Amino acid sequence: MLTEDTPMDSVEKENLRRAQKYTKDAKVGEGAYAVVYKGREIATGRQVAIKKIKVGQFKDGLDMSAVREVKYLQELHHPNVIELLDVFSSKTNLNLVLEFLDGDLEMMINDKTQKFQAADMKSWMVMTLRGLEFCHRNHILHRDLKPNNLLLASDGQLKLADFGLARDFADPGLKMTCQVITRWYRPPELLFGCRYYSGGGDMWSVGCIFAELMLRTPYLPGESDVDQIKTIFRALGTPTEEEWPGYTSLPDYVSVGHFPKTPLRDLFTAASSEAINLLAKFLAYDPMRRISAREALNHAYFFQAPNATHHSRLPKCKIVSTEPEEPPTHDNAKMDLMKSLTAGPSSGRKRKSSIGHEVVSRPPALRHMDVDKHESL
Amino acid sequence: MNHIKQEDIKPALVQEEPKDALSLSAATLTTNGKKEVKKEDVDVVKPLVRESDGRKSLWQGSSQYRHWMFSQEMLLKQRTHTNETAVTAIKRAYEAEETGSSNGIEFINAQEEYALVKLYVDKISALCDHFRWTEEVEATAMTYLKRFYLKNTVMDWHPKNVMLTALFLAAKTTNQPISLDAYTSAIPKTSPSDVLDLEFLVAQSLSFEFAVWPAFRAVWGIWLDLQSLPDTRPEAIKDILNAAREHVRTARLTDAEFLYPPSQIAAGAFWLASETLTEQWAKAKGLTASELEPIKEVARMIERENEPGGRINIELVRDVDRRLRLCKNPEKIPGTNAYKRKQAAAEAAANEKRAKKLAAEQQAGSMDVDVFGEKIFIGDVKQEAKPDLGFSSGDED
Ligand SMILES: Nc1ncnc2c1ncn2[C@@H]1O[C@H](COP(=O)(O)OP(=O)(O)O)[C@@H](O)[C@H]1O
Ligand SMILES: [Mg+2]
Repeated sequence: MLTEDTPMDSVEKENLRRAQKYTKDAKVGEGAYAVVYKGREIATGRQVAIKKIKVGQFKDGLDMSAVREVKYLQELHHPNVIELLDVFSSKTNLNLVLEFLDGDLEMMINDKTQKFQAADMKSWMVMTLRGLEFCHRNHILHRDLKPNNLLLASDGQLKLADFGLARDFADPGLKMTCQVITRWYRPPELLFGCRYYSGGGDMWSVGCIFAELMLRTPYLPGESDVDQIKTIFRALGTPTEEEWPGYTSLPDYVSVGHFPKTPLRDLFTAASSEAINLLAKFLAYDPMRRISAREALNHAYFFQAPNATHHSRLPKCKIVSTEPEEPPTHDNAKMDLMKSLTAGPSSGRKRKSSIGHEVVSRPPALRHMDVDKHESL
Repeated sequence: MNHIKQEDIKPALVQEEPKDALSLSAATLTTNGKKEVKKEDVDVVKPLVRESDGRKSLWQGSSQYRHWMFSQEMLLKQRTHTNETAVTAIKRAYEAEETGSSNGIEFINAQEEYALVKLYVDKISALCDHFRWTEEVEATAMTYLKRFYLKNTVMDWHPKNVMLTALFLAAKTTNQPISLDAYTSAIPKTSPSDVLDLEFLVAQSLSFEFAVWPAFRAVWGIWLDLQSLPDTRPEAIKDILNAAREHVRTARLTDAEFLYPPSQIAAGAFWLASETLTEQWAKAKGLTASELEPIKEVARMIERENEPGGRINIELVRDVDRRLRLCKNPEKIPGTNAYKRKQAAAEAAANEKRAKKLAAEQQAGSMDVDVFGEKIFIGDVKQEAKPDLGFSSGDED
């Protein structure tokens, strides 16, 4: 064991001091480039998650996802953003000490034994928007919002996590890559190759998450990038030039046919008119006209009954659900309508969700390889 | 610290916690409250937010404000401490090799270290031009290099490779990465390992705090303010903008960023560019005389840099670099006995740790047990006597 007696640089000493503050126990998860362990802060007994990122394996040194995640989490301190408690290195690994979180919104949505009240959804939306408003106020784009990256604490607080694709947009007019945001949550302007964007992209994702909370199944599950555009147009109608000026001149524009507009109300039957109104504003085609996080927090939806559930009273995440699923009931009709609106004529291999009865195969997570080449301009 | 409380760099779009739905949910704290809450109610409700919720300015929440700002005295103390600790350790390493061998070595003092580091800070610009990197990369890399030497000594790590590593890392952290091969092949006498071996050490020395608030961005903010002043002609302020940007570049060679927030550095640069306009600006902003004081101090700092004897003191740097070869930490030079001894000690510690871990695993019957604290492997800088591409700190031969 290295101790104070072993000659060491102050920087190494500091690193050692940080490392020794924590224990590392069982593995709890594995991501694209990291292994996550459960651990404890020895002095306080506080439970933590230790995200161990292998660095030695990369020929270009520190991995970009790790760099982004560390850079932004070091600056962002907000109840609805995951807290980075410490960073230290061991051998050739980088260790991020994060607050421990029990589950995520995807688990919650998939757990069909949980019934969501309108007030619960409102609460998750509020927390998502508050975290995001804080990021955007700090000129940081998340660029990978999806239920799986909205983690849930034991006290019910929702936290934005996984900043591996985030970047800042303090300098306006900076060209960015469109290869961000997991497909189902990716806005149409990115699908059409738009390289200049700001907070609007994240807001589209929030709209998809809002819809998913209400439907309990992904709203716009495209099977490929082109199919994603089709899926969006089928659900929301092909945009008119008036609705989204100039979109047909975007770099990767493709025509996918004309789809009529169907009122959101037809699918979101149980939603209040304010909820529908807000959803439509998240899913505005023109990114310039899309609602911002801040505006959304002041939207009438949040000021109408029922009031958002206090986070401590929200449904709790069950880590492993062993209960049998309830049989489908009134959801069937809605589901069929959903299919007709979002899935279109059923194609061969269906992995369309049917309110949870088939396993939804989610699009792969995006990683730095897709992103970096496009942004090093 | 005597900083202005105003928002820095980034325009203050939202100064206060928005009165939003959360204030509302705080109002009721109950599930499914049926009561319709009127907007007026929201205003009187204490929002369910902690002080840390971003109510502080963004600047005050930043790692730069929290960990990298000093008073003049603290900064001097920090550098002196780093330097003296290093000298003690190096003396000990020499003595371990041969008693009396550290006598007569002319160690480098803190001021001399700073002079040498400054030379390499200055060299970053040319490299950024070469790779066509933005000013953000340049400013960030310079900050990294300066921060590195608050915690490390040039006697352990020569600034040339640290500078190259800081720049490579800055390109990544500002989202403009290039491959290591492309980077090192464009720089003479530099191999990928020169950079890779130091990257972890540099990141650690920065406490993994990569975000930097550069003053050049604050320049834009002030420039926009200037345009809205009543009697400013566009032609007049255009020259002023360019002058201010040049002054901010000069400020990067000074300690200004450790002592003043970026907005004050930018304002100091404008002060030098046009005192009258900046005075008008300050008046419009409602700055008091005491708030103007640090701005003038920054201006004086930049001015001193431009005076004869400012910038890089080539004579001194030449001498420092010559002496550096005689007082490098032998523990950091591959091949020396001290180096071998240190490596062996680290290895023994690692072995001991592995044995402990194995024992613990066998005892716990778990494969997941791990203990931190293993010394990270840090390769060594191959310290070249003569760096190339104009990196040389003044070769005497
Ligand atoms: N703070 C945390 N608390 C508990 N589990 C976590 C935490 N962070 C991550 N995990 C678990 O580890 C998995 C991978 O982490 P993630 O951050 O998503 O890695 P990646 O960025 O590689 O996808 C997550 O899906 C989750 O199960
Ligand atoms: Mg993930």
